[in-house]
Amino acid sequence: MDKKTAEEKMALLEHYITKHCLWQYNSRGWDREIQNERILSKTKKVLCGENARENDSTADRYYWSEAMTLAEAFKRYYPWLEETSKEDIAEIMQMLKEKMDYTMIKGSLNVELIKEQY
Amino acid sequence: MPYHQFDCSVCIPERLHHAVDKNKGEELTDALPLGYLNTIPGSISERGCAYCGAKHVIGTPMKDVIHLSHGPVGCTYDTWQTKRYISDEDNFQLKYTFASNMKESHIVFGAGSMLKKNIIEAFKAFPKMKRMSIYQTCASALIGDDIEATATEVMEEMPDVKIFTCNSPGFAGPSQSGGHHKINLAWLGQMVGTVEPEIYSKYVINYVGEYNIQGDQEIMKDYFYRMGIQILSTFTGNCHFDDLRAMHRAQLNVLECARSSEYLCDELRVRYGIPRMDIDGFGFEATSDSLLKIGYFFGIEDKAREVIAEETARWKPELDWYAERLKGVKVCLWPGGSKLWHWAHSIHKEMGVEVVSVYTKFGHQGDMEKGISRCEPGVLAIDDPNELESVEAMYRLKPDVIFTGKRPGEVAKKIRVPYLNAHGYHNGPYKGYEGWVRFARDIYNAVYSPIHKLSLLDISKDEIPTDKGFETPQAFSDVKLGDEIRNSTELRKCTSKYDPIPALREKLKKNEYLFPDPVTGELKQVPYEKLMKNTVVEVNE
Repeated sequence: MDKKTAEEKMALLEHYITKHCLWQYNSRGWDREIQNERILSKTKKVLCGENARENDSTADRYYWSEAMTLAEAFKRYYPWLEETSKEDIAEIMQMLKEKMDYTMIKGSLNVELIKEQY
Repeated sequence: MPYHQFDCSVCIPERLHHAVDKNKGEELTDALPLGYLNTIPGSISERGCAYCGAKHVIGTPMKDVIHLSHGPVGCTYDTWQTKRYISDEDNFQLKYTFASNMKESHIVFGAGSMLKKNIIEAFKAFPKMKRMSIYQTCASALIGDDIEATATEVMEEMPDVKIFTCNSPGFAGPSQSGGHHKINLAWLGQMVGTVEPEIYSKYVINYVGEYNIQGDQEIMKDYFYRMGIQILSTFTGNCHFDDLRAMHRAQLNVLECARSSEYLCDELRVRYGIPRMDIDGFGFEATSDSLLKIGYFFGIEDKAREVIAEETARWKPELDWYAERLKGVKVCLWPGGSKLWHWAHSIHKEMGVEVVSVYTKFGHQGDMEKGISRCEPGVLAIDDPNELESVEAMYRLKPDVIFTGKRPGEVAKKIRVPYLNAHGYHNGPYKGYEGWVRFARDIYNAVYSPIHKLSLLDISKDEIPTDKGFETPQAFSDVKLGDEIRNSTELRKCTSKYDPIPALREKLKKNEYLFPDPVTGELKQVPYEKLMKNTVVEVNE
């Protein structure tokens, strides 16, 4: 998959998250980093047909639930995902993670993100 | 996203960075309104105070509690009518409001002894009530009254009562949001973990940031119970004081209004390892996604899908009846904090309305991030607007309806823009599938009511038409529809009852819900009395 196509597909997935999800908005930057990392990496695994559960902790179960719901919605909205190779999905999801990290954390203008306490 | 300069606020330059226009292709990283800052002197804000945010928003929905404000009687204003967080225990928390009634002499000579006398008097007047919350106000905070010490004294003298103290006077933050923060942490510090609850299901949640506005919590509770989920506590709508002391025993915190109670969820996650799951109970798709992910968490996604399928089949034709008639209706979505993001996308996608502006009175930048993201390009986003800015925005954007609080709503009506109450609702509940149809019906009735057409006539100079018969909303709304939609036999108007809550309470009484035993997993009924009030045991007994 060429970079432009991957970027276009990534933008569609980002658009879905923007409109439908809330997990990316936790109020601190370090918290957003964890949310993005755990949920998007699990979503990638689910989309690639891999085991996305790491352990039986409630925290892991939570990230996995978000990932399962997101992957299901992605497939419903973007049927092309079913025909996309695992390598391409991994590439698109990596780009998505980087974009989410930038928009929600590194490039964010939200000054509360750097406060230490909740 | 360029900042938006209001003509009326040129003389208040600090206001410039509180409003942006979202244009096509622009992102959150381009511009974001400032938020959660002290109101600028000279700007007549529509905000509430930190005491209001603590007591009237979060504290008072607790249903078996004497809510006492330590301050002038005027601070207790918000009860019947202005607040609509109902309960299934005869609305004690709405019917009765308590204040220590501070006067000038108390400011001079102190009000501690008077407070103690009033606490005891209140408990004696309502002997069945054994729980109390005391809220500090500006007056009592400024003279340094120690409400916690007084409460401790009373609890020593009356061992069967429990008192929670909330030190969030009106000046303790830029807006009501400061009060949300304070009461969240005060509850966690003073109360959580002081009782052990009875766990009767394998699946246990706290439902957080849900205030049972006109029955929202009771609609959602029905879905959770149908999935076999025990709601250990609801923070705080329609909830008992003692259930909220047991929050530490849930497996999952399901968070609805993050603006008012994310602090509690974040701290419960840090201290007790309970995950925080943010959900949307507004809108068909959002509610379905929310139920599904809760289902996944507990491994009961099939149960979630059953509820989703049943509710969608029942209510979707009614939502679509309104959606066909609301396409292109322009809305200013101007709530307090969280509904700008709860509603922005869902009303556009599922009802076809166009959101032309969002504002938040007390939201933080995080709320603006959510709200702006969920809107389409072309929207004007405003933080903490003053009244003149709101009026200027309405003249410029020409909305068909605005969703806001009752005070700015009355301003809108004066310039003949209909409004719906985004806080207390008009004909709620608005949550869940049935609630969403009720919301669509309210929007429809607001936009197409013949009264708005009549109100544009000035009887002192306009000619009043006498040749037209009675006009109905449908006479206006159906003009633009094709025959296929107008005569559809599949779509239908809202059939929700005038008040759907009694039927839900009746259903609870019939006790048709089954919960899996926490040990064996065997499905069983739970006694009605326990569903109404769970058993808790004091930790120190």
